[in-house]
Amino acid sequence: MTLDAALQNDIVLRYLLIAAAALGVAGLVLAVLTALGKNVGPVWRTYRGWLVMVPIVLAAVLLGRTAFIAGVALLAIFGFKEYARATGLYEDWWMTGLVYLGIVLLAVASHVQDPRLGHDGWYGLFMALPAYVIGAILLVPIFRNQSQGQLQRIALAIVGFMYFGWMFSHLGFLANAHYAYGYILYLLFAVEINDVAAFMCGKIFGKHKLRENISPKKTLEGAIGALVISVGLAWALSFSFPHFAPWEILLAGFIVGVGGQLGDLVISYIKRDIGIKDMGAVIKGHGGILDRVDSMIFVAPIFFHVVRWLHGLREVPVS
Amino acid sequence: MTKWEYHPAPDLDETLADHLRNFPRQPFMLLYAIRSMAALLLRAWMRVYHRLSIDGREHLPTDGSFILVCNHTSHLDTLCMLCSVPLKQIHRVFPAAAADYFFSSLPRSAVSAILINALPFDRKVKGAESLSACAELLSNDGNVLIIFPEGTRTTTGEMGRFRSGIGRLVVGTDLPVIPCHLEGGLRAWPKGKLLPRPFRLHLRVGETRRYGDLEKNSESVRKICEDLHEAVAELGGPTK
Repeated sequence: MTLDAALQNDIVLRYLLIAAAALGVAGLVLAVLTALGKNVGPVWRTYRGWLVMVPIVLAAVLLGRTAFIAGVALLAIFGFKEYARATGLYEDWWMTGLVYLGIVLLAVASHVQDPRLGHDGWYGLFMALPAYVIGAILLVPIFRNQSQGQLQRIALAIVGFMYFGWMFSHLGFLANAHYAYGYILYLLFAVEINDVAAFMCGKIFGKHKLRENISPKKTLEGAIGALVISVGLAWALSFSFPHFAPWEILLAGFIVGVGGQLGDLVISYIKRDIGIKDMGAVIKGHGGILDRVDSMIFVAPIFFHVVRWLHGLREVPVS
Repeated sequence: MTKWEYHPAPDLDETLADHLRNFPRQPFMLLYAIRSMAALLLRAWMRVYHRLSIDGREHLPTDGSFILVCNHTSHLDTLCMLCSVPLKQIHRVFPAAAADYFFSSLPRSAVSAILINALPFDRKVKGAESLSACAELLSNDGNVLIIFPEGTRTTTGEMGRFRSGIGRLVVGTDLPVIPCHLEGGLRAWPKGKLLPRPFRLHLRVGETRRYGDLEKNSESVRKICEDLHEAVAELGGPTK
């Protein structure tokens, strides 16, 4: 992944067009609705959030492997920060410091060369890091010579590292894949469309609650609608992975359709247990960073490992 | 199983802009790390680019809260004052900064809050509120407040009248007030210039003053302002 490679890559150019068209059409629809006197003020705020986020994300992809891995690491760091502030873990600087360090090490493992195999991205270290980081977190109470309340702290820190750090960082490691552009841009686009589809299908067809004690607004119809749209979208975006068999394309859509909604539900029950509405307010109209990337956290590692099992990350097709 | 107790940060719902503008701020590890790095770079820059020298550091109290007051010639004043306190105290040092200038936009707020750790001081509308925020800050042990009692940067080099805020803050209290004088600031970075020039800076730190024996009235406030004005001017030496 480099800037030159990105600008000459057919997949990147198609996604740039798709992103521009999607933002343009959405803006046009909102303008028409506003002209018709509909109350779409909050949607405009969300739309403005997209206008800022989409160029930043695309720039990180275009600028290359280093920029993308660093961008994912920053999102993981600030996502974990939101979680730490929401749970109260932020008051424990040793625990949060170790998680931050762990996330930085994940980014390093994603970026450096494997010393034995010689290619970019040290997969072995990436997979082994949780053992070391969790080990270090578990040692903190011993160094402190404290037991009271320590189980809650280490549990929060380990979930924080594994979920917001390690699972999410799989997205950054995908930058080392032969089909990095296709995989990454597909995930970024499809996961967001899946979120929008679940919302819209729920609004239009929603009758039966999906998990009323976790997220009362989500409906079964919304979830099924989003799954159908995500599978269809994977088919429409199959140019992203030209080496996939038809059933693999459908599987990619299924992973996004199901995983995206599970990721959303995970953040929902975390927020509900804590008793907060949003994880933060850093993105106007979207809430916190975690409210935006919640679906991706679940989808990225599943997609990563399925693709790796099926094709290997660096497999180059024989033409 | 017992339900876990969570303690979400009180400013969780604040936007980034509010988070930067509001005071007091919640301690945050990444922010502390960035500020510590910035403080190290600032000290290196001041030593190399401005050849900053500091006299009288031994007058700074080693415990408790205290106030540093200084003449105000340029933005370098705050940076020099920040360099005068030990690095480990950097997150407990709060320069009072005009809210209408230093917190007027997101980038300015970010620099003021993250790098400088400034306390937004409303000098136009909510002066009394800002003073109580300062008093609250000083009631906690180990905090340092930096104040420029002139209220604005001088353009002539003449030190302006000290406003009553500093007097009202310390009258009848035993808070240590340390007068300081910075020389060279006006030449190095006069008001209106975009970037500082590499001129030498010299900060003199004076002896501690306390005003606990004064009654709380406007006369005492005036006396404190005059006394501090005189002390800062004396540190600057005879007018050339």
